[in-house]
Amino acid sequence: MEVTIQSLFDGALMGCIYALIALGLSLIFGVMNVVNFAHGNFVMLSMYFSFWAGSLWGIDAVLTPLITFPLLFIFGILVYYGIIDRTLKEHYTIQIAVTVGLMTFLGAITQLAWKARPRALPYSFIQGNIQFGGYTIALSRLTSAIISLIVIISIAFFLSKTWLGRTIRATSDDSDAASLMGVDFRKTYALAFGLGSSLTAISGGLLMTFQQVDPTMGLRFGLLSWCILALAGLGSISGLLISGIIIGIGESLAMTFWDPRARSLVIYLIFILVLWLRPKGLFGRKE
Amino acid sequence: MKRKRNHNLENLLLLSFLVIALFVPLIFGSNQYNILLVTTVLIYGVMATSWNIIGGLAGQLDLASFAYLGLGAFTSGTLLIRFNLTPWIGMILGGLVAAAFALLIGIPLFRFRIKGVWYALTTTALVEVLKVVFNMWEEIGGPVERYLPYFSGSTYHMRFGSYVPYYYLILGILVIALLVNSRIAHSKLGFYLKALGEDEAAAEVLGVNTRACKLRALVYYSFLIGVTGAIYANIYGYIHPSFFNGPESIKVAILGIVGGRGITYGPLLAALLLVGTQEFLRASLGAEVSGLYLVIYSVILILVVLFKPGGIATFFQYKNKKPAKQEVKKKNVV
Repeated sequence: MEVTIQSLFDGALMGCIYALIALGLSLIFGVMNVVNFAHGNFVMLSMYFSFWAGSLWGIDAVLTPLITFPLLFIFGILVYYGIIDRTLKEHYTIQIAVTVGLMTFLGAITQLAWKARPRALPYSFIQGNIQFGGYTIALSRLTSAIISLIVIISIAFFLSKTWLGRTIRATSDDSDAASLMGVDFRKTYALAFGLGSSLTAISGGLLMTFQQVDPTMGLRFGLLSWCILALAGLGSISGLLISGIIIGIGESLAMTFWDPRARSLVIYLIFILVLWLRPKGLFGRKE
Repeated sequence: MKRKRNHNLENLLLLSFLVIALFVPLIFGSNQYNILLVTTVLIYGVMATSWNIIGGLAGQLDLASFAYLGLGAFTSGTLLIRFNLTPWIGMILGGLVAAAFALLIGIPLFRFRIKGVWYALTTTALVEVLKVVFNMWEEIGGPVERYLPYFSGSTYHMRFGSYVPYYYLILGILVIALLVNSRIAHSKLGFYLKALGEDEAAAEVLGVNTRACKLRALVYYSFLIGVTGAIYANIYGYIHPSFFNGPESIKVAILGIVGGRGITYGPLLAALLLVGTQEFLRASLGAEVSGLYLVIYSVILILVVLFKPGGIATFFQYKNKKPAKQEVKKKNVV
């Protein structure tokens, strides 16, 4: 029983970070309906940037997003204008193909730059454990989960209350109508893409506090965030959070009670079942 | 009239390729390593050509090619290890198992109308699922390589003591894959597939049974790759869950797209150019370059997709395309 509760708690904490990763993807897919296969590699790239900043300047992993956030934002804008903008009107196969190319490119570049070895940062200052009753909670995971929650809530606030956020939502609903109201939908798309990719900077920095990074993990994070998105459906940020926690708990339970190798199996099985049984997701509004 | 000329050009290109391919072992014959490299290029040629049926003609972005390759390899390999069944039968059974598995996955997938990005993601997940399953399934797979029984020069065990017969075997399958491809492309099924690849809802309205068509395309594709997988296991002499390779499956789809979706010889052309250069660089410069090569690879993919969305094979179809372009220009002027 204690093991179950411990595992539930670990999974829920991890799930908050997963939800943050998926939020970036949800912004990109939800607003411009562009399929970004490279999202997981964005996460991997920001983890490497965090590693870079951490090892070059000795910055603590939790603080690296201060540097990597603007970097990833600029990167996202560049990718949008360089690649995505040209394929907006194309068949979705072309869009997927171009982002698959981007994914392979990022994987190969990181492999060249940092070799294939796993990299990790020295212990962050949020390292340590809290004893709570009979349970142990890793402080780094707890802090990361809390930061993820704060970021997710502030994004939700940004989207619903600020003018920029409203233009993003308006463009998402109907880009033609939004442009008739004076919204430049290209700039909004670029903003959404930049924001979506810079959110991975925060999750990348948080992941680096307790995890190592290697060039093959991009695909795993990419599939993971698509799973969460499929489970949540589009347009609901609280749904995204709940789905992230479900996936995190599923993964954690599978690792505790079945086999550590089965963690991805559970995620993909949930993914396939959701696609078959409830294609618009648990909390979705369309598709 | 125009289509016929184009068809002739296509046949001429393929025929000249085959004539050259027949003589390749005579050039490299003294060096077994080179034969293995050329065979690897041809394997990618077969996979990309088979992918063209589901990915190019039917427009379904399937990223699970190595799932079927692995299933073929494990079927034939396990039958050989356990029951001493000859791979010559094993490869047919491997193809059948791959096709049956594809049906098993394809029926619910198409039944629940999973397409576009969700289809691509499901197939990517499928490769990973199979890899984990075979890793955990100790009776058949497991984390340790299982070596096929070794008998040098035994035709029954598909061991020849040389890579040349494998080369011709793969070449034979490539010819079959090309024939199947071109037969489908010029048949009723091919036109249905092209129609549903362009716009599935419109094809359905016109009375095309899209589900059955997609399933047939999926079966042809997975069978061809399953057979190739059985030979693949025999070339390398072992079976291992790492045969279920996600990134390489994506690479096969890349070859198909870069070559030209729906053009019979396009994916083969891309495989020859890209994989050929890759293997050549790897052989001459060592493994370090493979990372660098992927950079070039992906840049080529992005550039081709952005500036030549039809694929590199459309360079050969320039004459056919010209009138269409002029029409578009006229429309713009008006």
